[in-house]
Amino acid sequence: MTDTTTETSTAVEAPPPVEQRGEPALELRHLHRFFGRLKAVDNVSFKAYPGQVMGYIGPNGAGKTTSMRILSTLDGPTAGDAFVCGYSVIDDPDKVRRYLGFMPDSFGKYPNMNVVEYLDFYARAYGLRGAKRREAVDHVLVFTELRKLADKAINTLSKGMSQRLGLGRCLVHDPQVMVLDEPAAGLDPRARVELRELIRLLATEMRKTVLISSHILTELGEICDSAAIIEAGRILAHGTIQEIEQQQRRVSGQTTARTLLARVASTDDLDGQTDRLEKWLLEQPHVSRVQCAIGQATFDYEGGDEGQQNLLKKIIDDGLPVIEFHGKSHSLEDAFMNITQGITQ
Amino acid sequence: MSDVALPAESAPDESSLTDRFSEWGDKASDRMNPILVKETRQALKSRQFTITFMLLLVVAWLISAGGALWAGPAIEFGSAGRAFFMFYYWVLSFAIFLVVPFGAFRSMLNERDHNTYELLSISTLTPGQIVRGKLSSSVVQILIFYSAIAPFIAFTSLLQGFDLPLVAFMLLGAFLWSTTTCMIALMLSTLSANRQWQAFNTIGMLVLLVWQLFFVFAVGPMMMSNPIPFEDEEFWWGVGCTLTGVATYFFLFQKIAISRLTFDSDNRSSGIRVICSLQFLLAWIAILAIGIYFGASYVEDEVVGSLLAMTAVHCFIVGLFASTETDFLSRRIRRNMPKSPVVRLLIAPLMPGGSRGFVYLLLHLAVIFAISQFGQWGPTFGYTGTWEPWLTYWGIALPCYVIAYIGFGSAVGRWGRKITPEIRPAHARVLVVLMGAMAMIAPYLPYAFGLVEYRYGYSLMYMSNPFTTLDMLANGPSSSADAVINMLVAIAFVAVLINVRSAWTGIMELVKYQPKGASPETFSPTDDEEAPPAETARTT
Repeated sequence: MTDTTTETSTAVEAPPPVEQRGEPALELRHLHRFFGRLKAVDNVSFKAYPGQVMGYIGPNGAGKTTSMRILSTLDGPTAGDAFVCGYSVIDDPDKVRRYLGFMPDSFGKYPNMNVVEYLDFYARAYGLRGAKRREAVDHVLVFTELRKLADKAINTLSKGMSQRLGLGRCLVHDPQVMVLDEPAAGLDPRARVELRELIRLLATEMRKTVLISSHILTELGEICDSAAIIEAGRILAHGTIQEIEQQQRRVSGQTTARTLLARVASTDDLDGQTDRLEKWLLEQPHVSRVQCAIGQATFDYEGGDEGQQNLLKKIIDDGLPVIEFHGKSHSLEDAFMNITQGITQ
Repeated sequence: MSDVALPAESAPDESSLTDRFSEWGDKASDRMNPILVKETRQALKSRQFTITFMLLLVVAWLISAGGALWAGPAIEFGSAGRAFFMFYYWVLSFAIFLVVPFGAFRSMLNERDHNTYELLSISTLTPGQIVRGKLSSSVVQILIFYSAIAPFIAFTSLLQGFDLPLVAFMLLGAFLWSTTTCMIALMLSTLSANRQWQAFNTIGMLVLLVWQLFFVFAVGPMMMSNPIPFEDEEFWWGVGCTLTGVATYFFLFQKIAISRLTFDSDNRSSGIRVICSLQFLLAWIAILAIGIYFGASYVEDEVVGSLLAMTAVHCFIVGLFASTETDFLSRRIRRNMPKSPVVRLLIAPLMPGGSRGFVYLLLHLAVIFAISQFGQWGPTFGYTGTWEPWLTYWGIALPCYVIAYIGFGSAVGRWGRKITPEIRPAHARVLVVLMGAMAMIAPYLPYAFGLVEYRYGYSLMYMSNPFTTLDMLANGPSSSADAVINMLVAIAFVAVLINVRSAWTGIMELVKYQPKGASPETFSPTDDEEAPPAETARTT
């Protein structure tokens, strides 16, 4: 009943210093996964580096979960390969598992088990023994703020607490790479914010590489420093958020234009003021694509920084009750909507 | 409070005896299989275990009280010990032959049902650790039930008629048998992730367990009433042979369960083939030992014939799986191959792949053939006995049948895969079984439909049915025996011929393999070597 030495020797070794080598902690290289004729993942390639939080974005059925399952060695690629800390998911799945923490979109819970027993089991399963195991469990309980619930049966945890437990399970063996599939799905706003903070800490303080998929793009935009947009199994864009923004502009032909927003003061005649603002903007040089909502207008401006200064000065001089005037950055959501075409497989 | 020791603020300052015991338990558990620790914790908290345990105690207590009342003063001078033990044995049997093995079976299925298996499989636990952990958890449960019944058996030992060697033999036998049943249960639970198959397996498992329980209920009194010849040397030879046979199957089932949980890209076949070869080796040794030791006695010929037939059937089953696998060798397997081409050639039949599996089958059948001809070549080595002629016939017919059915089946499966990757190894296996069934039934169809008048005696028409043919060869070969043997050899030769090319390719693929630092950059779906047909590499 006791394990042999070889069996207990699966303890997690010190991770290789990928960061020092400047190598990606996570890499997908020409990854393909076909299910019969369905190309679930079609030549997907990207890299992520230590300390980076990468959003993996795509509509339902785009191939996100399939790629993530391949990364976590739950599925095999039809062709291509994926690497975690330099180890191939095909050649060295056992090594990949040491350096990777995977949190699926839904995960089962054992009956007759409490929080600490659950984490303790996974610590053992990842080869941690003795004091190391106890410290790892304690660290995770503190990090995920689950200590107060340590003795609570895991089947009775709320959705938010379950997600924390799932995150804790991923962390218990201190992996370098974390793959989180829809971790915020089904969480209430507070739990979402808390989870977001935890994920941010993973990258900033613990220097983990995090690949995260979510449908809530505004949240992803806040925590991700890079993203890969996938649709119908193919990567449409990837890179930092700024790079994707630039790419989106190139695609839509807006090479030099910047998007600006002007808001007028809320008065009794707000509609009239909005109409006046729209008419005024349409008369100005270098202004195009004026789009108005109640009390505000967004428009593209190609006049450069100096021209933008003059425009602001003129708008005040002309007596428009403008209370807000600034550049409107393209959000991840905008990029996603512009880049994807809504193709489903 | 949980029994998992928490450091820092959870740890008490003054450690009581309980705390120290808990700490010691925690330290000891570090040396144990994580699955065993988890499963034991869960099992001890589970309602099923608690109810069974309490029920066992209550029923055993009722038996003791009821038995004592029923026996009255006779309990002091009568031989009530055996009867009491028999009842306790039945109660124990219910727990260890039904509840624990079914719990082991459900344990693995629950991992899939509760969606926990995936998380378990991506931990650093090896499939071997998972299987052994589940098994050892079942063993712990068996031991707990033994410990529950132990006081009652101790009470029985005070009564007259209590036979300690018999009781020890029965309890030890039950323990080993129950452990093996748990292993079978675990293996069955890993066979398929498909829900329909799982339901089918569950029914099969329940039928097996209930049948086994009735068998145990029936065998118990027989063992009690018929004295076991402990002093007889042949009895211990029989026990030894049975234990050896069961042990090989125990390891075979364990290996199958492990291979079912192993990565798709890893070697899932070699371990099974090695254990099967070991089984064949033991069977061959047994055949030769019986043949040489007992010489020309007709009883031993029957035993040798039965062993030959059983070995051939076993060979058929092993060959059916081995020779219908896809030939794809993953990078992981190839990377771990020996560097020497000679060694690779020698181990080729043990490596995964249908073509190499067919060679593996041929080699084993060749040994069966050689052994069956012992009556012919034995005298060269000073053997003075004689073997019945039908054993020689069987030694040719049995391998020929196995080669013919599996050879054609694996070839059709291979050709099918060339047409469409949708043809999987399982399809080829079903095809072989259906082909065999059809060939056995076909000779009787004209009679069944009244097209031909039934004639007694053997004719060449029955040749496709191995049972009829073997029966004819064993019970006084007819005039057509030589013709049947010649035709079977010819058919087997054709079956080998149509598989020779793929077998050669499969072997040479290993021998000529050049370990190269293949850059993953070169992988693409057009790289046939690396890209298996969709799904096929996952279904061996």
